[in-house]
Amino acid sequence: MSSTVVSLIQALASGLLVGGVYGLFSIGFSLAFGVMRIVNFAHGELVMLGMYAAYSVYLLTGADPLLAIPIVGIFLTVVGAGLYLVVYERFVGKATLQQLLVAIAISMVIQIILQMIYGPETRGVQSVLGSQYLIYGPFFFSYGQIAAFIVAVICVGVLELLLQKTRWGKLIRAVADDPEAAEIVGANSRAINTVAFAVSCCLAGIAGCVLIIYYPVNPGTGMALMPIALIATVIGGLGSIKGAFLGGIICAIVQQLTSTFWSPALQDVPLYVLLLVFLAFFPFGLLGRKTAH
Amino acid sequence: MTLLTVESLKVGYGDLIAVRDVSFTVKPGEIFVLLGANGSGKTTTLRAISGLIRPIAGRIAMEGEALGAIKPHAVARLGISHVPEGRRIFPNLSVDDNLTVSYLPTRTDKSLRAILDEVYGLFPRLRERHKQMAGTMSGGEQQMLAIGRALMNCPKLLMLDEPSLGLSPVMTDLVFERLEAISNQGLTILLVEQNASAIDLATSGVILSNGVVSMAGDRAALSSTQYIQKAYLGV
Ligand SMILES: Nc1ncnc2c1ncn2[C@@H]1O[C@H](COP(=O)(O)OP(=O)(O)OP(=O)(O)O)[C@@H](O)[C@H]1O
Ligand SMILES: [Mg+2]
Repeated sequence: MSSTVVSLIQALASGLLVGGVYGLFSIGFSLAFGVMRIVNFAHGELVMLGMYAAYSVYLLTGADPLLAIPIVGIFLTVVGAGLYLVVYERFVGKATLQQLLVAIAISMVIQIILQMIYGPETRGVQSVLGSQYLIYGPFFFSYGQIAAFIVAVICVGVLELLLQKTRWGKLIRAVADDPEAAEIVGANSRAINTVAFAVSCCLAGIAGCVLIIYYPVNPGTGMALMPIALIATVIGGLGSIKGAFLGGIICAIVQQLTSTFWSPALQDVPLYVLLLVFLAFFPFGLLGRKTAH
Repeated sequence: MTLLTVESLKVGYGDLIAVRDVSFTVKPGEIFVLLGANGSGKTTTLRAISGLIRPIAGRIAMEGEALGAIKPHAVARLGISHVPEGRRIFPNLSVDDNLTVSYLPTRTDKSLRAILDEVYGLFPRLRERHKQMAGTMSGGEQQMLAIGRALMNCPKLLMLDEPSLGLSPVMTDLVFERLEAISNQGLTILLVEQNASAIDLATSGVILSNGVVSMAGDRAALSSTQYIQKAYLGV
């Protein structure tokens, strides 16, 4: 195999693995948008909160971040429900600018609190998985990334199943289609929105747990992650869960190819080009629905 | 004995008063029609009953109990079903899912399966298309689905806002015929229409003009052409 082909395959495979995690935090963002039309620019900060939470569990108990998923998931679910009822609910149906400003304010609050607790340094965990590699011929993959990818695929699968098959999932989709119509058939849209937003934050928390395995965290991490969720969601189609997951994988593959064949420093440049192209020519993305209200 | 009482209802949007002073009562088992020209306040009245808009003044009571400031989902759980203007089915849900999300187990002993069978029995076309995405159905099919959905909570009162709008005369006849069948099973119906042929179904009703009741009476009174002209032409 020529070295170019090896590099290409390595980049595609690494992109797929990393992309699973991008997809995982993008689906949470997409869910909040799809159901409540909330553009939650604080989603990156919520992923970061999940990373710090998993880091704290690791500090206190030495537990691997993967084992912290249940507790961090519950913690972020509670945070999400609280944030929705106290803050976001007031901004459902309001202008995007208002939502944007509120989300930025929330981002800042989360950032400042975390900075006060943990300081500005970058922090990581010594995960058994993160430091070991699966080596196969000329290819190598971090076990941490493989584990993260598996968790991401499970989460997307479970979420899709819940949304398609369960009563609550169907109610969430009904509210996404038409909140007023859902109310007049007896659905408590406030409760349903709270659940949907809490699930969105829970997914952010789980994404934080798997990210911290191989990606150290500092108070700027949330801001660095947010554009990826946004671009993945636009590529996949606003409000589409499967689309956001696919968009996350595309983003990561594009980044890996750019950094392999061009320059790691420029890995985000094509992402913004993609964002502009999709916004201008394919506003419904790959899997978006044109019937959204 | 009255099922629904609306007393001196006043509803507005900002400075605009859409419903000025509307009173009527609906008795159990009847088909009560609310007629009126465009903009006379029919939709606004139904939305106020459903809790989708807060009245400025007036009283709405179900079986003697004032509804007060309750949320629309609580109104639905009391057994008032609303087939809204423009149908408002859930376009990205299948026909089956549109119906199942509207089933309220607290309102009935019947199983979901049993009520689904009743609705599908009433509208066999829906059963044929039960897996189809609701947004891709024809206007008439969507209207059947909107009515079917409203029946899923075993209502005491079924309110419909211009179900004939946009339907062919044949489809309109079919929908009206189904409403009669539903009514014959004992369900009370509050029907908003511009289509004057709705009067043929009615036991009684009112005509709204510019947010007030201009006529009230039984079917015979409503069918008198002079009343209809007055309502629609404003003379
Ligand atoms: N959301 C709204 N904001 C402002 N004004 C409204 C709104 N909805 C209705 N109106 C106004 O209230 C008045 C009554 O409207 P409503 O929809 O109740 O009439 P309607 O009798 O249902 O008419 P139609 O037969 O055309 O459906 C109209 O003048 C209308 O312009
Ligand atoms: Mg109307």
